[in-house]
Amino acid sequence: MFEKEPQGAPQESLTLAPGPRAAGSRRPGPGAGAPQTPRAVEEPPLPGESLELRRPILERPAGSESEAAMEQCASVEREVDKVLQKFLTYGQHCEQSLEELLHHVGQLRAELASAALQGTPLSATLSLVMSQCCRKIKDTVQKLASDHKDIHSSVSRVGKAIDRNFDSEICGVVSDAVWDSREKQQQILQMAIVEHLYQQGMLSVAEELCQESTLNVDLDFKQPFLELNRILEALHEQDLGPALEWAVSHRQRLLELNSSLEFKLHRLHFIRLLAGGPEKQLEALSYARHFQPFARLHQREIQVMMGSLVYLRLGLEKSPYCHLLDNSHWAEICETFTRDACSLLGLSVESPLSVSFASGCVALPVLMNIKAVIEQRQCTGVWSHKDELPIEIELGMKCWYHSVFACPILRQQTSDSNPPIKLICGHVISRDALNKLINGGKLKCPYCPMEQNPADGKRIIF
Amino acid sequence: MAVQESAAQLSMTLKVQEYPTLKVPYETLNKRFRAAQKNIDRETSHVTMVVAELEKTLSSCPAVDSVVSLLDGVVEKLSVLKRKAVESIQAEDESAKLCKRRIEHLKEHSSDQPAAASMWKRKRMDRMMVEHLLRCGYYNTAVKLARQSGIEDLVNIEMFLTAKEVEESLERRETATCLAWCHDNKSRLRKMKDLLDPARWRMLIQQFRYDNYRLHQLGNNSVFTLTLQAGLSAIKTPQCYKEDGSSKSPDCPVCSRSLNKLAQPLPMAHCANSRLVCKISGDVMNENNPPMMLPNGYVYGYNSLLSIRQDDKVVCPRTKEVFHFSQAEKVYIM
Repeated sequence: MFEKEPQGAPQESLTLAPGPRAAGSRRPGPGAGAPQTPRAVEEPPLPGESLELRRPILERPAGSESEAAMEQCASVEREVDKVLQKFLTYGQHCEQSLEELLHHVGQLRAELASAALQGTPLSATLSLVMSQCCRKIKDTVQKLASDHKDIHSSVSRVGKAIDRNFDSEICGVVSDAVWDSREKQQQILQMAIVEHLYQQGMLSVAEELCQESTLNVDLDFKQPFLELNRILEALHEQDLGPALEWAVSHRQRLLELNSSLEFKLHRLHFIRLLAGGPEKQLEALSYARHFQPFARLHQREIQVMMGSLVYLRLGLEKSPYCHLLDNSHWAEICETFTRDACSLLGLSVESPLSVSFASGCVALPVLMNIKAVIEQRQCTGVWSHKDELPIEIELGMKCWYHSVFACPILRQQTSDSNPPIKLICGHVISRDALNKLINGGKLKCPYCPMEQNPADGKRIIF
Repeated sequence: MAVQESAAQLSMTLKVQEYPTLKVPYETLNKRFRAAQKNIDRETSHVTMVVAELEKTLSSCPAVDSVVSLLDGVVEKLSVLKRKAVESIQAEDESAKLCKRRIEHLKEHSSDQPAAASMWKRKRMDRMMVEHLLRCGYYNTAVKLARQSGIEDLVNIEMFLTAKEVEESLERRETATCLAWCHDNKSRLRKMKDLLDPARWRMLIQQFRYDNYRLHQLGNNSVFTLTLQAGLSAIKTPQCYKEDGSSKSPDCPVCSRSLNKLAQPLPMAHCANSRLVCKISGDVMNENNPPMMLPNGYVYGYNSLLSIRQDDKVVCPRTKEVFHFSQAEKVYIM
């Protein structure tokens, strides 16, 4: 898992992945002097405890963390501000002193160059003045040079603040070369990026990447995105036509989704007519027939719109219906369209690459912390599951895409070879746990007094 | 957004991801400072020299005319000093301002407004992708993406473009650009005690790339790649790779075509706690939506069974077997 695997690492009783329920063996101590080392606070579940009440694996005190967070950037910013101030002051001072010197020297030169003095030797007075001037010039410019040098410490403090507050080295979950060694993987990564760019509507960037990486994306894949983008661009120009066309042709499926896109498009058109003033009244009225099929579902909204006609002569802006003219409706329709179109295409609004990257942003610091703790305590051998991360990453419920059943007794994920078994009483444990609990041919459920036959356990599939 | 990130989490991530964002403009600032000091020192010594000459002449009872011409020299040198000083300070100030702009952008991660916060996250991904693309050598794409996302100031395009020029010239068997780069960076290269042997071209290009990265303290893999790997692992489950593909989820990123292949060699997520998701709806199964087992052993959420119930019967979506609704039994997950 990590690049260095020390031979014969000592086996410590410390475990990071949860072990059996024996108390006290599960908590890694905080790394000395590492303020961000997570404390894993994991407790055995109580019978009947709902999953939702489980505390997150890593607990942090809320207030101090966000303070420390701001301090990171603020610390660097402070030093940068100081440097900027010094440059400003120095620059002004430099210009000013040199201006003065030039002026002074200019004056002297003018005096000396006057006709009266031509060809004559330099008077003692003037000689004195000149010497003083020379001294002044030397002092001034040398001070300018050393003043600039003094700024150096402020500049290097910026670098030090960055070094102190940000990690210069980042390490991976796996060895560096895991994607290099299979060069196809690099190509697949490029493909994933192209797909992401299409989904985000950045078509020209996607095209450019295809060209530069000589990737071929089949038209079947591109086509829906091209169409989506065309419609969105029209919507941005406040042209409802393409969107309406699309909504009508996908009417059935949109209804199945409970989408009100078609109605909203008609509504927006109606509102735009209203905004055109009293001359548009007839047109608006006649357009209102489009609301007919939506009368049942959107009765209230239709009433509001018809009611607004009364104020057409007065001007809608001054009426109680002025909110209809809000620009936000246009932004909203784009979002609604994108959401519904993605649903129809079987896509989520966020591309898989986006979600994976965001998940990585959460996972990366956690994993790096754990790695630091492991290396510090020299127990690399402890992370025995090479194909599993050493710690749980909390991403939030929206990222629960698959069922995971962790046997509450053996604290391990079930698998095909060790599936979950439902006992007669309804409690579920893993098969391995069930086998361990068999006593004299009978089985007592660990959660309730019910005794039962091991054979009565039923394999379940989530 | 699907993934929840608290402000505290965002800044932990900042700490591990954003070092290059700030260090690279800092190194430019440092470089320009040193150049400014050199310029000022040089021009100052020129001024001092002509002034010394003038002083020497003064002590030997000179004619006014000779003093005037020496004064002209002084004026000239002072003017050059002024010009060079102003130019140099402007350059230093510019790079300090760039540092400031980047830090200000990073600070926005903690914005209270959800729209601003999600914009920041989108830009973060774009920034990391731009750097990744630059590393891969897809310069045009990177520049286009940076422009479209409005992040040109926030990414180190210039550094990579300079590197590109050097590499391209090396491919043409020309050393001039590379040597100029070495000269430019010589004070720091000297500290690294590395020597470039002009005889080995291919190795040279790689060596240059390696040194350039080291000079700017960049690792072998882009931040984007490392982040992505960690993220894929955190989502990956065995169900994403079941042979018959029966347990794929349409929402799961790792189940999607390209990412499924990418995530294959990576470790899986570690899940110490159970979490159950109904195969029909994708909703969580908990006390509000209890998991129910049909007689064939397949489990679905109570709410989903209600929604597919017809005439008191339900059809298991996975085996197509028909059961009575009342045959569903509640299961208890700890």
